[in-house]
Amino acid sequence: MSLKSYSRARAIHVMLVYTGGCNGCDIEIVNCIFSPKYDAEQYKVFLTWNPREADVLVVTGPVTKHNEKPLIEIYNAIPEPKAVIAAGACALMGGVYKNIHGDIPSEEIAGPVDKIIPVDAKVPGCAVRPEDILSGVVAALPLLLNAK
Amino acid sequence: MNEDNKITDKKVIETEVTMGTVHSAAIEPYRVRLFVEDEIVRDAEITVGINHRGIERIMEGLPVEKANSLTEKICGICSNSHIWNSVLVAEKAIGIDVPERAQYIRVIMEELERLHSHMLYLAHGSEVLGHETFAMRVFYIRETVMELLRMIGGNRVQYGVSIIGGVRPRCELDEMRIQKIREGMDIIDEKISEFADRFVSDPMIMARITGVGVLSQKQAIALAATGPTLRSTGVELDLRREMEAYDPFEFDIITQDDGDVKSNLLCRVLEIPEATKIIRQALDHLPDGKITNRSWEMQDAPITKSYIEVPRGKLYHSYALEDGRVRNSIVRTPSITNIGAMQYAAVGHHITDAQLAIVQCDPCFTCTDRAIQIIKI
Repeated sequence: MSLKSYSRARAIHVMLVYTGGCNGCDIEIVNCIFSPKYDAEQYKVFLTWNPREADVLVVTGPVTKHNEKPLIEIYNAIPEPKAVIAAGACALMGGVYKNIHGDIPSEEIAGPVDKIIPVDAKVPGCAVRPEDILSGVVAALPLLLNAK
Repeated sequence: MNEDNKITDKKVIETEVTMGTVHSAAIEPYRVRLFVEDEIVRDAEITVGINHRGIERIMEGLPVEKANSLTEKICGICSNSHIWNSVLVAEKAIGIDVPERAQYIRVIMEELERLHSHMLYLAHGSEVLGHETFAMRVFYIRETVMELLRMIGGNRVQYGVSIIGGVRPRCELDEMRIQKIREGMDIIDEKISEFADRFVSDPMIMARITGVGVLSQKQAIALAATGPTLRSTGVELDLRREMEAYDPFEFDIITQDDGDVKSNLLCRVLEIPEATKIIRQALDHLPDGKITNRSWEMQDAPITKSYIEVPRGKLYHSYALEDGRVRNSIVRTPSITNIGAMQYAAVGHHITDAQLAIVQCDPCFTCTDRAIQIIKI
């Protein structure tokens, strides 16, 4: 185990990016880390708003056209190795905002997330449950810890 | 305080501080331009529209039941308010009588939602203040409400209680559920009063929030601020007084005088016991009978409007019905005018307080991004 992965195993920093969903998922994710009931901080998972500090990027929302560029920039700013988690129905497949159009291309939505940046773990739900988020982060952990 | 600091010419001011669209201080994407002179904000400009998903366009031509459940996806914080108001439009247009028991259950859900929305505001406000411990404490209290919402609606966030003619069969309140809601209300009342005592008696926090982000009553009325943002400037206006569903209940309208961050926070803290009071009354006098009126027929209707009071202020929905499908749907959420008012509240204060001043109106940018243009006053 390298020094980097040794230290990373003791503090996983999660960055949350909101790209135009309904806010439901975001609050559940913040809830999952802050709320003493779920309290992801006891597993040494911390919330950060700085991409340069982050190890895991959690993306919610269907990625509106305006949010596409910032999302790519944030993804590039996160140092390697990194993991991306798409959380919620909108992030997975566009949710109600995209699918309602059928095959007609939507004018507002650029997503879903895996069209824009590579996604490592997908967490379903509308809105996602805090327990599912925790298991999603845990599923992405081997990527970070086994990296050299 | 603000009236002395009139908005000056932007060309004169050299320093411009820009935040956004994605910024660490704001969870939701929006853009703030602060024009700063000697570290005092002279002008502020908030741009919304980054989250625009065109939900009114998606609603166009959908069957009315489907469109109603789609309005829930406008906002994950006040989802029940959206679906309730959207259903009210259809009920008003077709002329459907709603059973009394269903009205009571709707009121209970709305007040539970007010509880969780206000607690989220307190948590977010504490976090912006830099007081993470308070935020965690409030999240802990909020979990009680989330569990009750999950018990009644089946989901923690989008619970879809109202349907045309009543409430979903799943949301029937039996003895066990009523008992659990009562227990939850006792916990909330106790914990929130404890929290409020600690919050108000903390000199550091009070020094930070008193006199910051002042919105005068004149400005608030001119900018059409609604909800607790308006009530915190001393205007006693609450649409719940005029709503049919709230007729049987006794409650007070909370007003504060100063219009600063402190007034906004206290206004919402004091609304929490009022909400629990309404829920207790509804549980005590819950009428027997059906919860859904199924004997109605779809008919065409012209554009019908409906206003209700939601946790953040006044919510407007309107649409016309044509062959059971929605036409000309318009949604107007309270945050749009509140955010507009915050451009003026931030002016004249220190730049470090700008974020706090903007957050004080409980802005919800995902609600706000509709196809509505505000013309500069």
